[in-house]
Amino acid sequence: MKKKVSGAGGFFKRAYLGLVLLFLYAPILTLIVFSFNASKSRARWDGFTLDWYIQLFQDSDILSALYVTLAVAVLGAVLATILGTMGAIGIHSMGRFGKGLWMNVANLSMLTPDIVIGVSMMILFIFCKLELGFLTMLLAHVTFNIPYVIFSVLPKLRQMNAHAYEAALDLGASPGQALMKIVVPEIMPGIVSGAILAFTLSLDDFVISFFTTSEVQNLSIMIYSMAKRGINPTINALSTLMFVSVMVLLLVLNKRSSLIEKR
Amino acid sequence: MSVVESTHLIDLMGVSKTFDGETEALKPINLYIRKKEFITLLGPSGCGKTTTLRLIAGFETPTTGRILFEGKDITGVPPYKRRVNTVFQKYALFTHLNVYENIAFGLRLKKRPQAEVDRKVTELLHLVGLDGFGKRTVDRLSGGQQQRVAIARALANEPEVLLLDEPLGALDLKLRKEMQVELKNMQQRLGITFIYVTHDQEEALSMSDTIVVMKDGFIQQIGTPTDVYNEPKNAFVADFIGESNIMRGTMLRDELVEFEGRPFPCVDKGFGENAPVDVVIRPEDVKLTEPEEGQVAGVVQSVVFKGVHYEMMIRTDAFTWMVHSTQCRQVGQRVGLSVIPFDIHIMRRSVTPVEREG
Amino acid sequence: MNRKIWATPFIVWMVIFTLAPIVLVLIYSLTDASGAFTLDNFAAFLDPIYINVLLRSIGMALLCTLICLLIAYPAAYFLSQKDIDKKGVLILLFIIPMWMNFLLRTYAWLTLLESNGLITSAVNRVLSLFGVQQEVRLLYNYGAVLMGMVYNYLPFMMLPLYTVLSKMDRSVIEAAEDLGANRAHVFTRVVFPLSLPGVASGITMVFMPAVTTFVISRLLGGAQFKLFGDLIEQQFLFTGNWNFGSAMSLVMMVLLLVSMGIMNRFGDKEGGGVL
Repeated sequence: MKKKVSGAGGFFKRAYLGLVLLFLYAPILTLIVFSFNASKSRARWDGFTLDWYIQLFQDSDILSALYVTLAVAVLGAVLATILGTMGAIGIHSMGRFGKGLWMNVANLSMLTPDIVIGVSMMILFIFCKLELGFLTMLLAHVTFNIPYVIFSVLPKLRQMNAHAYEAALDLGASPGQALMKIVVPEIMPGIVSGAILAFTLSLDDFVISFFTTSEVQNLSIMIYSMAKRGINPTINALSTLMFVSVMVLLLVLNKRSSLIEKR
Repeated sequence: MSVVESTHLIDLMGVSKTFDGETEALKPINLYIRKKEFITLLGPSGCGKTTTLRLIAGFETPTTGRILFEGKDITGVPPYKRRVNTVFQKYALFTHLNVYENIAFGLRLKKRPQAEVDRKVTELLHLVGLDGFGKRTVDRLSGGQQQRVAIARALANEPEVLLLDEPLGALDLKLRKEMQVELKNMQQRLGITFIYVTHDQEEALSMSDTIVVMKDGFIQQIGTPTDVYNEPKNAFVADFIGESNIMRGTMLRDELVEFEGRPFPCVDKGFGENAPVDVVIRPEDVKLTEPEEGQVAGVVQSVVFKGVHYEMMIRTDAFTWMVHSTQCRQVGQRVGLSVIPFDIHIMRRSVTPVEREG
Repeated sequence: MNRKIWATPFIVWMVIFTLAPIVLVLIYSLTDASGAFTLDNFAAFLDPIYINVLLRSIGMALLCTLICLLIAYPAAYFLSQKDIDKKGVLILLFIIPMWMNFLLRTYAWLTLLESNGLITSAVNRVLSLFGVQQEVRLLYNYGAVLMGMVYNYLPFMMLPLYTVLSKMDRSVIEAAEDLGANRAHVFTRVVFPLSLPGVASGITMVFMPAVTTFVISRLLGGAQFKLFGDLIEQQFLFTGNWNFGSAMSLVMMVLLLVSMGIMNRFGDKEGGGVL
């Protein structure tokens, strides 16, 4: 009897979850399907084509936006990871006051709305007579990424045996050696997840990039300006490719982390 | 006891440590440590024992005073240039390295040839009884095994002095007893100095050549385990090392002390007349007698069987005595208590810093 | 021995790129075009036109947060029960959209809702079956923007709720049953109160981006539909009145920090996490 009741409940639960999933994925799947549609229609299937993808790869604007997106994400993540890791190590060894102060500054930067970060950095760059473009966008990305790296690395530092660094000094390592040979390897998981987080946030960003660049566009800005003009199947093709790459990236990361867990 | 040479290996001269300008962890102390001795810093938490150890290791710089190593001033020398190594309380093993690489860490830093590293690590694994454990990851080891790796790692650099900060604190009782014996053997075999920090008086008594009892940043007493146990310098030491009956009393004159409302003959002198003192009597030194035959009489409050002896609490008019005896008395029974003069220890009330003689 | 110096580059960076810009915004908001001190920028904001936009933004963000909570809570609750999601794989499906570019997500809705999009065409076909000839417009209105917001931010509500529900100690529920609570009581008296930290961080994670967005309103609401974010964007990129724009940015920051402070009293820091 009891089993039957839970069976019916189970069906209801599955149906509900199915509906939510449908809501989440239907728009994306439609978009993917129509990226292969022979006509420009978004309602009628007019046969299969790869024309939009071919157009996409012939569009030099889109290709250069792709390049900008990747370059900013990679450089931004690398710089933010270096600065953030060093910052976390420094903050971790500060006294209560310094620790509280700088963690709050990092927190403030995470809690500030993107649009405010965007406009305030735009003011700064124009104030400093820096021409808006690739460099300013990169500086902005590094800035909003740093706190995420800090908060990925700090917990690892806290988990670490407080005396591991001293043990290395005790065994003859100089402070620099102790840091590179002991502290950095021990907190490596935090550094890696901070770097991945920074990379994905950077790939995903639109608002902050939008305000801190002018001519140089990344993919988000590209999609925004094209979408404002109306629907274009080329964006469907581009979106499909972006969606597929995110899925592949996530699968790879998931495999990797489950491999680490098994070890 | 091991043969102790008379040369000083380490001298702490007026060394003190104040943290953040306010917390006085260590008041100025003078202490020397001989070559090849097993010296234990013993005291409750917050007594300054770990601070002293960290000052010797070089993790802290003294606020005042100087530290000498073989007569040379090493006060400002960083830890990685000192010929001492530390076994940390919670091991502080490097979790990203395996057992072999943990032990080899110091040797690798010194860029020793691989063959030598191999030989040395194998030797050390054998010394700590972990033959064949080299390839294991450290977080898969038991607490006792991690402890052994930590010791082997600290010994790899062939230090003159091994500093041990409550190294057995995280182990269970049985393992702790085994490791105590092993550590003592190891120290004698290696012929190096061990400076050992613990709050466990039994551990200190069973392993040390010299015990330094500390409290509130002061050294309370320095001596051999027998000295410290039999001739505690003050009531704190008496209470901390073993169990004691501590009573307030008055030294009437040399060799006569008053407590429990009557005079007792004792063997101490030189306190002056009518001086307030602490009277310390070990529970095993109290003899049970018939009520009328004892120096004082009281009623048995409780009896607990402890294996070798019975532990009884006996209430007199002024005090509740703890008595260890092989004879059992009933609760509520009236008994007499007596103590021979030699077993009555008289101590000054005030606590004064102590220096080591010789 | 002093490892604090490692933080120096970070500190310099934060001072230049986080603190200095905020100070600049503050200065701009308190000065006029000639650089003289004034409070006019804040006074101008009190105009009903702007206040109405602010209220509409807050109202929409609250409504969006509520809808997300109502949809996500049962879903997260079901997923946290091991008989539905045995290996914890299903939850990934709900989280993945979070990793997608949010312009892409918004654009996906745009393609469905625009005049010859799949949904609009279908609705119109159904309506014509009933003899209604007038074509409906699903895009460029309040509903479209709200829909876009819910679609965009639903995963951000799912994650913290799922985290807190799946970590909940089963023995607490068993203890409640043991003490005589029925299923409804177990939920209202035990499960829900214990999940409040997750609810709080879910609300923060949805409300915060929802109240500041200008992209969703621009793409799905059209040029006439304005939210608070649109006003700020407009002041900086079109009107060029940085002083007024800065004042509005500050209002938005304070609004968010205050609501964050309120939410933090309910939630703890572990409730959600960014991943």
